[in-house]
Amino acid sequence: MIAGAWVCLLSPLAGAVAITLAGGRISRRTAGWISTLTTFVAFGGALIAFFGLWGEGHGDREHISTAYTWLESGDFEVEFQILVDTLSSTMMLIVSGVGGLIVWYSMGYLAGDDEERRYFAYMSLFVFSMLLLVQAGNFLLLLAGWGLVGLASYLLIGFWHHKPEAVAAAKKAFVMNAIGDATLALGLVLLVWETGTLEYLGVFEDLDSLSTTTVNLVAVGLLGGAVAKSAQIPLHTWLPDAMEGPTPVSALIHAATMVTAGVYLLVRASPVFEAAPDVQHLAAILGAITLLVAGVVALVQWDIKRVIAYSTMSQIGYMFVAAGIGAYGYALFHLMTHAFFKALLFMSAGVVIHHLGGEQDIRRMGGLRSVMPRTHLAFLVGGLSLAGIPIFAGFWSKDGIVAAAFASGDTLGYTLWVAGLVGALLTGAYTFRLYFTVFRGEPSELVTAQAHEGHGEGPLSMLIPVGVLSVLATIGGLVVIPGVWEPFLHWIDETAEPLVMASVAEDYGTSAIAVTLALIGAGLAHRAFRSQRQVITNPRIWHVLEHKLYFDELYDALFYRPSASVSNALRRNIEEPVVERSLDEIGSGTIQVGGEVGRVQSGLLRTYAVAIAFSVAVLVVVFVAVR
Amino acid sequence: MWTTALLLLPLAGALVVAILPLPRESTAGLAFLVALGEVALWIAAAGRFDFDDGGLQLGTTREWVESLGISYSVGFYGFSLWLAGATVIVFAAAIGYGMWVGRDRSRAYHALMLFLLGAVVATFAAQDLLLFYVSFEAMLIPLYVLVGVWGGERRQAATVTFVIYTMAGSLLMLASVVAFGVTQGTFSLTESGTSDNVWIFLGFAIAFAVKAPLFPFHGWLPLAYREAPVEVAAVLSAIVSKTAIYGFLRIGIPKFPEPADDLSGLILVLACAGLVYGSLLAFRAPDLRGVIAYSSMAQMSLITIGVFAFDDLGLDGAVLQSVAHAFVSASMFLLVGMVERRCGTSDIDALGGMARGRPSLATVVLVAGMIALAVPGSATFAGEFLIMAGAYQQGWGYSVVVALGIVLAAMYTLRVISAILHVKPGRAVRDEALDLRPGELALVLPLLLLLLGLSVWPALVSESAFAASTLAELLP
Repeated sequence: MIAGAWVCLLSPLAGAVAITLAGGRISRRTAGWISTLTTFVAFGGALIAFFGLWGEGHGDREHISTAYTWLESGDFEVEFQILVDTLSSTMMLIVSGVGGLIVWYSMGYLAGDDEERRYFAYMSLFVFSMLLLVQAGNFLLLLAGWGLVGLASYLLIGFWHHKPEAVAAAKKAFVMNAIGDATLALGLVLLVWETGTLEYLGVFEDLDSLSTTTVNLVAVGLLGGAVAKSAQIPLHTWLPDAMEGPTPVSALIHAATMVTAGVYLLVRASPVFEAAPDVQHLAAILGAITLLVAGVVALVQWDIKRVIAYSTMSQIGYMFVAAGIGAYGYALFHLMTHAFFKALLFMSAGVVIHHLGGEQDIRRMGGLRSVMPRTHLAFLVGGLSLAGIPIFAGFWSKDGIVAAAFASGDTLGYTLWVAGLVGALLTGAYTFRLYFTVFRGEPSELVTAQAHEGHGEGPLSMLIPVGVLSVLATIGGLVVIPGVWEPFLHWIDETAEPLVMASVAEDYGTSAIAVTLALIGAGLAHRAFRSQRQVITNPRIWHVLEHKLYFDELYDALFYRPSASVSNALRRNIEEPVVERSLDEIGSGTIQVGGEVGRVQSGLLRTYAVAIAFSVAVLVVVFVAVR
Repeated sequence: MWTTALLLLPLAGALVVAILPLPRESTAGLAFLVALGEVALWIAAAGRFDFDDGGLQLGTTREWVESLGISYSVGFYGFSLWLAGATVIVFAAAIGYGMWVGRDRSRAYHALMLFLLGAVVATFAAQDLLLFYVSFEAMLIPLYVLVGVWGGERRQAATVTFVIYTMAGSLLMLASVVAFGVTQGTFSLTESGTSDNVWIFLGFAIAFAVKAPLFPFHGWLPLAYREAPVEVAAVLSAIVSKTAIYGFLRIGIPKFPEPADDLSGLILVLACAGLVYGSLLAFRAPDLRGVIAYSSMAQMSLITIGVFAFDDLGLDGAVLQSVAHAFVSASMFLLVGMVERRCGTSDIDALGGMARGRPSLATVVLVAGMIALAVPGSATFAGEFLIMAGAYQQGWGYSVVVALGIVLAAMYTLRVISAILHVKPGRAVRDEALDLRPGELALVLPLLLLLLGLSVWPALVSESAFAASTLAELLP
């Protein structure tokens, strides 16, 4: 079982190294296969680990395996160790399984790109880093995986590095995530001082001895990292821009796996957050704000990928709400179904973009249903799942979160419940606005023109993963039927005991309202589509939303421009005139004077020698005398 | 014995290279062989070093001027052996680079480089204060000449500024050396006791602050790093700067525990200021060399924070970071040199788009850059984390500044990576500018492989840097 986990972790790394070392000696196709197969080998390892755990008794499902001591200083040790428990084994399955499908899909999507090999090396690096993140047995190793997924994300967003927008987006993503890394690292520093260890289990045991302030600070540090990685407000602005990367990257990193790392951290460190309930609630509140704001902004975007990106933020907002109120099982459940249906949506969008020769503006799309029937079906399944329509996967997971918010009671719980329901309305509206605009109506000019020249619905390597995910997005939610069959929730409970559980009545009641609202949202989108209008008609509101509530402009004015002008001012007013030039002038002056008198070298040297001897004598006397 | 051999090999090599009337290529080849031999010698010495002990080893002591208490005394501690290891490896790469580009006046050039190598190793090995001072000063002479003769257009101004700053530092240090030796009755670092004289401490501290350099003693840095031949700049920022850290670790703190403790607040504040100031300047510097120069200043400030954290985490982190930064900085400077040779400039505006069609350059720059910005999981990150954790001992504010440094490092390093590799080719980038040649890769790859190795196992350095007895002297 442990061996399976190690294979799972190291196989993608081996793939990345092999592709890098082989360089131009292997064909682009071979690189793709290496990457795909090593990821599926990782999935095999994850299966072994998962079923190994499954066969064990309740309460025994927690194993640590240590390879060696990674970092050591005095009594402080950080080991290279993996933790296999119900939480990490579930994440391993999601990451390697969905990851494998997406890497496979990339082979068709990228076919013909000059630098495919580089792409697959990056993809393998990413899968390894993500697995390191979820398998790590201590916080510092988690942070290592955390940073490496950020690195892989940077490399893949900027994959088409000749595009200035792609490079800018990649840098923005990295810096935003570096802010999160920094707060996370500060939280860990506190843990090192207060508990002397960074191992999860050691830290959780020592939490009682920490003061409230300390625990709150640690939790805030962790939350900062989670918010940045999961693109929650206020550190969210990088995710929409990250859509500059190839579409499979958006599916893998910016929807299915990496951006959910924040949720994983909230669940993994749940004892810390439970000891700091205010911070845990803050996570839920940030999640609720994000799910609403992103849902509204998604209504006005024109770029097919950006709409899906905002929807990702919004759905992760739900997961934050779940983790923030202690419904850990549902947070992870939604993480899983979201991985299915969001990867599916991105992949179908990728097929569309691929077919239309790279076009991403939905105003130039339309009527694709007749041209691409299979893709249409896949997208529709993804959309229904996203909107939470029964029996599709998203229905079971999202409504569970909203119901849990109601069950947690008090003002906060009810507010979150209302936010979740409004979110359901918004989700229905933006999802079906996208669906109708792209697939229904008369074929647009571009669609007609591409009908014969386009790539069609892609090769088998693209179709099969899309098919598999369509099935998962349809039935993948059936591992939880509230009140009837809940193996998934019980599985996770062993690692993260939930604080709140909705009653069956709360669950079904909430579902009824949420589904109704989602259908109303879809209906609004349909009416707007029929009347050739938008869901939001007020031009002023539209304008504000189209500019994404001016977050970018705000951060530019608050941080980037001040720091740029401060550093420019430092350079112009202090560094150059004061620090550099002053001596520079003395220096050239000395040479000039020396040169005129004709004793450049010897003169200088003699002067120095005398000066040294004299001043040393004075200084020695001073030092010895003044004491 | 081993330590003496490590000192003598490069010095003897320098002498032979200077005297033998060989043609240019042979001279360079001979110097490179000597540098490689020095690496082999270091490996052999390290093989005989007991890292579990970590105390003073491989030493030799001979009385020299008994009446004045001056001796020839050398040897290595765990941390100084690691610093010496970084030294010999970086010098091998730098001398190899000098050979690759074919520096003119080859005999003088290579003799000076080897002499410099010997002087640096002697500085790290000296266990006698006068020997330390002589070695410390002996580093300066070849540096003056290397910058002044083989430097860029403004090399004279660069040299003069460098001379004035370092001379001022040297003066203060010489006075302190003499004063310390006289009051202690011996110059031996192993035998002398501690002193509580703030002024003597300040003499050392300022000399080290100039060398590192720490804010605001960095006036020589921008010109020197810009005008020096690129491999000399690499050696300056990667290795010579670390002699300041060694000075604090071997002399500044253990010999002056009280003054060091009293003034640690001031030094930490200056280091924090330098970290932020250097990072901000690096963020807007108009040329690659400027960015790396100021980033080097920021990194040295960071390491200083680790040293004055007065905590074993900070100290171990400082040594780990010193070694890692030596390799990072050397590979960055050498890479800048390779870019400059292709494009004739290091102006950021004139560069760009070099990733296309140059996979080796792109890969190498990315790897070096990512380790430079301390991506979590790298050796530099391990070092920064230890420093950050150690600094908490002195106050949480210092840890926060270190964290801020991580964000700023991401900003300026990503700027460098993109400036070289991304978007469309700048005006100085022509199609004739080829990918890295095998010879160039052979110089940079070993440095990067070492960094990757250290990233996989940073404990190698961090756990063996200090013996318990050494730590006891370093912690108040």
